[in-house]
Amino acid sequence: MSDDKPSLEVRNLVKHFPIHGGLLQRQTGTVRAVDGVTFSIRRGETLGVVGESGCGKSTVGKTVLKLLEPTAGEILLDGVDVTDFSPGQMWSHRRQIQTVFQDPYSSMNPRMRAGDIVGEPLENFGLARGKAKDEQVASLFQRVGLRPENMRKFTHEFSGGQRQRLGIAKALAVNPEVIVADEPVSALDVSVQAQVLNLLIDLQEEYKLAYLFISHDLGVMRHISHRIAVMYLGRVVELTDKRTLFTRPLHPYTEALLSAAPVPDPARKRARRIILPGDVPSPAKPPSGCHFHTRCPYAIAECKTVDPKLLEVAPGHQVACIRRPVGTDFAPLTPTQ
Amino acid sequence: MSILQVRDLHTQFFTQDGVVRAVDGVSFDLDQGETLAIVGESGCGKSVTAMSILRLIQAETGRIVSGSIKFEGRELTTLTEEQMRGIRGHDISMIFQEPMTSLNPVLTIGTQIAENVVRHLGVSWQEGLNRAQEMLELVKISDAKRRLDEYPHQLSGGMRQRVMIAMALACRPKLLIADEPTTALDVTIQAQILDLMLELKEKIDAAIVMITHDLGVVAETAQRVVVMYAGRKVEEATVGELFAHPMHPYTRGLMRAIPRLDIDAEAEGRRARLQEIPGMVPVLTQPIPGCAFAPRCPFATEKCTAERPPLVENRPGHIAACWHTDRVLEQAA
Repeated sequence: MSDDKPSLEVRNLVKHFPIHGGLLQRQTGTVRAVDGVTFSIRRGETLGVVGESGCGKSTVGKTVLKLLEPTAGEILLDGVDVTDFSPGQMWSHRRQIQTVFQDPYSSMNPRMRAGDIVGEPLENFGLARGKAKDEQVASLFQRVGLRPENMRKFTHEFSGGQRQRLGIAKALAVNPEVIVADEPVSALDVSVQAQVLNLLIDLQEEYKLAYLFISHDLGVMRHISHRIAVMYLGRVVELTDKRTLFTRPLHPYTEALLSAAPVPDPARKRARRIILPGDVPSPAKPPSGCHFHTRCPYAIAECKTVDPKLLEVAPGHQVACIRRPVGTDFAPLTPTQ
Repeated sequence: MSILQVRDLHTQFFTQDGVVRAVDGVSFDLDQGETLAIVGESGCGKSVTAMSILRLIQAETGRIVSGSIKFEGRELTTLTEEQMRGIRGHDISMIFQEPMTSLNPVLTIGTQIAENVVRHLGVSWQEGLNRAQEMLELVKISDAKRRLDEYPHQLSGGMRQRVMIAMALACRPKLLIADEPTTALDVTIQAQILDLMLELKEKIDAAIVMITHDLGVVAETAQRVVVMYAGRKVEEATVGELFAHPMHPYTRGLMRAIPRLDIDAEAEGRRARLQEIPGMVPVLTQPIPGCAFAPRCPFATEKCTAERPPLVENRPGHIAACWHTDRVLEQAA
């Protein structure tokens, strides 16, 4: 983390999806999946992005990978603005940013042998072929805890945890700087999940990788992240280091989210569980003002009209809530309803 | 008083690869009004245990090969399908993980709930609909009267799960089996549903079997826990006792493998490593003569692979199937 230039920087990223309807398939609306997101990740750092279904966390990941074209904003990879790069231009930068998916099985060709899957990027980028490639693949297999003998196997012959190791080996093959990991352990059982999380941490420390780690699981987040961004309906509502986030959350949504998660300790009596009313509104019709005001226990009249900006209200602690202005004390808010 | 007694249950599936011993000799009791959690990872047999109780194992693929399931003293394993239908949705009902797949997409919410009520309680259709509306209000669905005419696809995931609960409780069951009822839901919605289930349980006084992989859900909802591994019960205790003194090496491994959201796992400024359980679950088509967990267990000896450990009560009300409980507890102390 000595390098000052962030490995990945995102400024005011916006991704809208048009909704088409009617007989002529005219655009009838817009899903504001990502609505102005800004963050940066340094070498060797994990930025966790947490939020519930439809908050836009996966869209952030896909847009950063340029699998989706951003509607507006900037994406900088190692200081280079790649926002408007064509797929051809992007190709040379593709090596720097790789991804690990939730379900590696659906992202791998079932007719290819495991060794070929992991070695494919090496060949694509002209990094190695033939025997040199096989040797590199074998060492990648070993690095992620798979036996090189398994290179001849097909993906269906692997367990879920082993497949995720394959996915990680493939991402590592081209020596990237940034890895976007979208729910990489959500499909795994706890005992296997621990193996994969440990591997991800080891690899990060060894290769100084920057992780954009997307997950809905708060325990996993607290374990692997250095800093965490909480998203709600396309916007980051809070961003700070993980200890501060978990011990002194400032945004009412973060507070509710943390209080809602079941804790595996019956002896720990929770202070109070905040049960949010209703469901997350549709990102096609987000509420006016603060998107969270419809469910927020502390909402005041202005929350319906004022768009809260993400401000650094305390050192290293960004919050988008008009009830938490710059220089806020951390005292609990008084419910208004 | 015990409402459900499961004794030495064996449920097997017959596949091309051989006989899968999905439930391999499981016994437990459930008291009236009690919540019992059955916890374990994929393939441990927790869901098959639930399906066995309701006799929902598909005859083409598998069956209960031996054992007994007594509900209010009545043996369920020998009932006819017709007799079972009188019990399902009436005395015993079930909530599934994915409500969309268990709701009928072409029938309105009201019809689906009323149908069940009319069938089991023999009331008129109008009374059935009234009950349906009552139930929707009970599960806190706003504007219940209008919702009766809506279809499942018009509801959000959380609402659908509320409808499932309304349907399950409409005939005032004595036993509710909930199979991962909140796993598909977001955290804040999960909190709503768990809260609702606990509140309704008090009102209706039903016993609950909560099937889950999530020790957090166990800690917050259950009174007693059965831990399953590879089709077998490996440990059982009250919730407080299990979390304070886990005795089976698998339970202990599971608890240490969870990344905690209430604790900073850091050692000297670095992120601590999670405790891994090495290897993976055994294949259930091969008979396992010893302890099924032995290949992954740090305490395992030759005896463990050769001889199946019996369930022993090592502390009051706390049983575990392990040959080396004394060593496990010694290490914990």
